[in-house]
Amino acid sequence: MSIILCATRGGEASLRTQTRAIAIAKERGASLLYIFVADARFIHNVSEAIVVDAETEIEHMGEFLLLMAKERAEQAGVAAEYVVARGNFAEAMKQTARERRVDLVIFGSPGEESSVTQLKFLETLCQDITGELGIEAVIV
Amino acid sequence: MLDLIRSLRRAVRRAGPLSRHFNIIILVSVLFLWLCARLPAVPAAGQDGEGVAPSIAGRVLDSQGGPVGDAEVFVYVDGQDEPIAESISHFEDGTFLAELPGHLSRATLHLEIKRPHFEDKTLSLSVEDQADLRDGNTIRLLDIVLTRRVTLGFWVATLSFVGVLLLMAFERLHNTTATLLGASVILAVSYIGGAFFPGAHIISFEEAIKHIDFEVIFLVMSMMIVVGILEGTGIFQWMAFMAYRLSRGRPIILVIILVVITSVASALLDNVTTMLLMAPISLQIALALNLDPLALVIPELMASNVGGISTLIGTPTNILIGSYADIGFNDFLINLTPGVAIALVVLVLYVRWVYRAEYRKIAGGISPTLYAKLEDNAQIKDPAKLRKGLIVFAVMLVLFVAGDALHLNPAVTSLLGATAFLVWVDTDIERMLEHVDWTTLVFFMALFIAVGAIQEVGLVSFIADFLAGVTAGQPVMGLIILVWASAFISTAIANIPFTAAMLPVIGFLSVGLDPGHTKYLFYGLSVGSAMGGNGSLIGSSPNVVAAGILERAGYPITYAKFLRVGMPAMLLTVLTGILWLLFRFFVIPA
Repeated sequence: MSIILCATRGGEASLRTQTRAIAIAKERGASLLYIFVADARFIHNVSEAIVVDAETEIEHMGEFLLLMAKERAEQAGVAAEYVVARGNFAEAMKQTARERRVDLVIFGSPGEESSVTQLKFLETLCQDITGELGIEAVIV
Repeated sequence: MLDLIRSLRRAVRRAGPLSRHFNIIILVSVLFLWLCARLPAVPAAGQDGEGVAPSIAGRVLDSQGGPVGDAEVFVYVDGQDEPIAESISHFEDGTFLAELPGHLSRATLHLEIKRPHFEDKTLSLSVEDQADLRDGNTIRLLDIVLTRRVTLGFWVATLSFVGVLLLMAFERLHNTTATLLGASVILAVSYIGGAFFPGAHIISFEEAIKHIDFEVIFLVMSMMIVVGILEGTGIFQWMAFMAYRLSRGRPIILVIILVVITSVASALLDNVTTMLLMAPISLQIALALNLDPLALVIPELMASNVGGISTLIGTPTNILIGSYADIGFNDFLINLTPGVAIALVVLVLYVRWVYRAEYRKIAGGISPTLYAKLEDNAQIKDPAKLRKGLIVFAVMLVLFVAGDALHLNPAVTSLLGATAFLVWVDTDIERMLEHVDWTTLVFFMALFIAVGAIQEVGLVSFIADFLAGVTAGQPVMGLIILVWASAFISTAIANIPFTAAMLPVIGFLSVGLDPGHTKYLFYGLSVGSAMGGNGSLIGSSPNVVAAGILERAGYPITYAKFLRVGMPAMLLTVLTGILWLLFRFFVIPA
């Protein structure tokens, strides 16, 4: 069975991405592998002391969000798993795609409001994944 | 004495190995006492048989009545180039004592007082004073008031400080790098520029170091270790999960419990840590209840900004204020906590109205798998460590409260607590010291130097003069203007450098206030700078943390969106805070 890697979070925009990924997985008879990258670089903008392992907290939150996504997929009849990665988003995506030997990588189109992942950045990342790994990557 | 030593030696030889150690200690102690007794006694002042030298005592002040330290005081005989005596005023109170030679001629004496950033001052002594001095007496002069002088150094220090604030506001540099750059420019101009243009001198390294408040540094550092150990136990997440269970799916009950937990945690620990730990789990709880996560996280972070004000250790600004104005743990509890409690009630009523549609939603319920995951994420990770940690922390709180009576500095209490944590709760010193955010400590040190520089050159005095003119001796008006100004400024710029810069200003303004209430302006600064954080997304560090977590979860909050909710909350809570301060300091007798 082929594997589709889908980067997702919570929120309305991510729900749309998940719905589209579930539909594609059904068409291809594939299983879904959701990924959340725990990135805590925003704490560098904080002027006060950070004594907490912020990435671990965000990792736990990501696991919960992906578990919700997994349940949605399974309710729609699509097998799904999830993985939470740390560090740089682009590198984490490439590494997971390579290690899990996925067949397709799906990114959600950035929402209207501010977003970590801008469209231009995602287009470049799709080209990199296709060029470097030979894996199809799309923005839905 | 020799007989005593011989008999002690014999006793040591007769004793076994254990008692021998004990005896050696006694022997050394006796020798030490004998040596002390043989030392010549230090004669007390005036008892050396040579009489007291004539001297001139006095105090150097600035135009606000604040002490001027490091002022050079020279005593000249008219017509001579070399001074016959000199002294330097004390940093703390501006006092000086110039001791004159024993035999004074009948020539006229005068004083010259020199201090960078002030006009030189010459003072002739009266005939009566000179006669007293010739009789070998000490005379006490009236306070000497120096006038500020705007130098090239004034402009360099002012521009450097404004540059630091702008670099931080526009995030062009890391806060620590920005303050370090500011401090370095100030010192570089003082030494390199000052060598060519004396007017460019701002502050010497020795003077700059004196401005670093090590009470703040040690308190912040120690609390980092305490918080670092406690946060790892999972207590915050467990409390949030318990709030979820206790509320039984009723959102407004959940919000009230979370507001109480967050405000208490922010008051006792620090609000950035509180939000970093509470926001992710609260977001999961919101999703479990089918609520918009903002409806839980925004009230929490507002409660965090407000709740932190109620204790000395709740916010970095309170730590700065407490150390500068000598306001203790109990003072904050008595003077601010009731006002904070009222402000929190107002806040809950406000968020209940803002998110009324969300809170009316009927909880959707979650699958057993998701519930298990939520429970798992909120588990106490190390019960034994938590038990020990809470015991030590409880003792620390008792010491903070009892500190005023024991004259125990809060920095010492926190240092004792941090050490107890390292000795008993978690002994891995390397891992524990990783909890210390050295970047923040360097930030504070560089900030103190930068603020010290604008204090040295007189910017602080000019601002204080301006504010004193605006308020024109009306304390109520002064307090109201201060709190609102602090609140609005804190919505735009980081409140730590703002508070640090305002402290000496308020110190000047507080001179001559009603002796029963000399500190209310400092409390006003605390209320304004912390509650002002609710006014905008960049108004406080917890806001930035919560926004970052919401963004990562896929629920971004824009500046405008936050402003719509945050600004009315700020206006309401600041108004409540002002009403409380007026009641506390102008209605209740001192």
